[in-house]
Amino acid sequence: MNAWDELVERCAERRREKIGPLSDEAFAELRLAVREQPTAFVDDPAEEALLIVARALDAYRAKTLGDDLLDDDAYERARRQRLGLLARACREAAEVDEGCLDARLLEALAADAEPDELLGRLIALEREAGRRGGAPRTGTDDAWGDVWYRPRLRLRAAVARTCLDTARYRMAASAAESVIATSPGDPLGARHTYALALARLEDEAGFDQLDARFSRHGNPWSHLARTLLLFKLDRMSAARRALRGYDELCQGGAYALLRPTYVETYLPDRPEAAPGSFEESTFAVREAEPIIADTPDFINWAQGHDWLVASAERFARERGLDW
Amino acid sequence: MAHDPRREDYQRLALRFACSLDGADPAAAARAFAGFGRRFQQDRDALPQSDADRAFHLVAMAAEVVDYRLPFAVGAQADRLIARGKALLDEALSLDPLCWDALRMRSSSEAPSIEERYRLLADRAEEVRASCEAARDEALRALDGERAALGGELALRPWWRWLATLAEEALICGHNHAAARAAERLLACDPSDSCDVRFTLAYALAKLEDERGLEELAARYATLSPTRAGDAWLALARMALAHRRCDYAKASEQVGWLIDSYPGAAGVLLRQTELPDGEFSRLRVAPFSEDELVIAVSEGIVLLQEGTDRRGAGVLGEWLIRETARRDPAAWRTLRREAPDGRGRGDEAS
Repeated sequence: MNAWDELVERCAERRREKIGPLSDEAFAELRLAVREQPTAFVDDPAEEALLIVARALDAYRAKTLGDDLLDDDAYERARRQRLGLLARACREAAEVDEGCLDARLLEALAADAEPDELLGRLIALEREAGRRGGAPRTGTDDAWGDVWYRPRLRLRAAVARTCLDTARYRMAASAAESVIATSPGDPLGARHTYALALARLEDEAGFDQLDARFSRHGNPWSHLARTLLLFKLDRMSAARRALRGYDELCQGGAYALLRPTYVETYLPDRPEAAPGSFEESTFAVREAEPIIADTPDFINWAQGHDWLVASAERFARERGLDW
Repeated sequence: MAHDPRREDYQRLALRFACSLDGADPAAAARAFAGFGRRFQQDRDALPQSDADRAFHLVAMAAEVVDYRLPFAVGAQADRLIARGKALLDEALSLDPLCWDALRMRSSSEAPSIEERYRLLADRAEEVRASCEAARDEALRALDGERAALGGELALRPWWRWLATLAEEALICGHNHAAARAAERLLACDPSDSCDVRFTLAYALAKLEDERGLEELAARYATLSPTRAGDAWLALARMALAHRRCDYAKASEQVGWLIDSYPGAAGVLLRQTELPDGEFSRLRVAPFSEDELVIAVSEGIVLLQEGTDRRGAGVLGEWLIRETARRDPAAWRTLRREAPDGRGRGDEAS
């Protein structure tokens, strides 16, 4: 989530509403002015709350920079502290504007509760947001275009991911489906959650439809999901080809799969990463983790392919990673 | 009802013995048959039998050793029982290379992984079916009336058990559609479900979150299991599905049903012990006994332990612990006294 961009967008739109119709050029000028000094344009509790969130996220992210140097205990302490600070700031933001869904979502995520408990909080939050109303503005094909609606989409995508984490695959699929139905461009990547859920449910037809809907643009999630799906369906030679595709097309995919690393909780959504990058591969493996664990010999089987192990090793050498 | 290898051993020899009396004077035959039970117990080797019968007898002995004695043994004694079971199965196979029960049981310790065991069971399934069906056809040709029915069934049972194990292994490996397929295949040839494969099917459908499929299976209970409308497997599968759609009231209802239906249920639901599966077949226990619930919960680990939960018992497992503790706080306190550090889960398994 880029909170500053959304803050600028919202302040500019609010100002335009006040001063009346503007030409495109004039609106672009206005936007530049807001970008220059957003705080000067914050004049509504909703944006005031978002400003607190934006600052809290900056502070949180800045604090993660020295993590590599810490041992496990020190890391855990530092992590708990920065999550605590983030949660506190988000509570403040929610006091300024109770309807600030991003603050509420972040507070729930930063509590670092068990996924099952988190899901309960997120569902309660969705109900509350539903009562407050607010459908996406008409006239946009993609609800993402409505900057005020984005928090709802983020919350829904978080619900889908949390469902996946708590082994609720039909719910994960239906939450993800509703995100991509309202936001077909899917900048939040709910389709990734969807693909993994369909793989776990061994729903080949559903998986294929989803793949076609996104023009079969592969990514680490879809390649990994396809491999899992075919393995679960006991179509071993097809599964082997899918594994090969995952290895070839996802940077560091083999390494991410065979040496899974810790991935920090998404706050509030999946961090942006270059398409096909190693980072994406680590995200995909992390999100697929409950499904991989439910398929006990999947990793053994993958490891049985020499080319996969060699590829992982090569990647580790190139990047100076542990092997 | 789980299969009983000793009873099956008896049935095989009784059938052969009865056939050997054909043509004899009826009174003498009746007298001879009256002594069969005693001879079976005391002088089994002197009864007429084939190598296949002898091999099956060794399988029955191996089942006794690995399924009913091994779980209670520790240390060197356990090692001795394992070696003994293996030797019995090897001997069975040397007598009868088509002794599918022995091959199936041996694969459990010999396959390097559960996936490879599943693979072996799946890959050889057609061969086993053909071999058992040929034996059945032979029995139907050679016998008539009730004997033909019994002989035919005895010939098919190793194939049924093969499918039941295949379904169970598929479920454990995460091949849920394959598990459901194997179970349905077995139900098609064993319509009174003597293998209780509907239990495995209920869990496979729960894993696939196939609500309709599970309720259709429940409706089929009238024919599959006329004497029992429900059981722990069906209840745990329904509980899992309700929990997966966040319908906690419905999930809780199933917990209540389990506590009302099974003695000692709360302790079993809190401990969630994982036991090794029976090698010959699911272990024989009394319906609605505490032991039956122990087995259902152990097989249900595939549902209980799924998902991310740092406390260790899985998402549904943790929920079940909290829900059971809420319904039966006394059982929870007792368990905490026994195992203050946790729940004692896996104690027996380790």
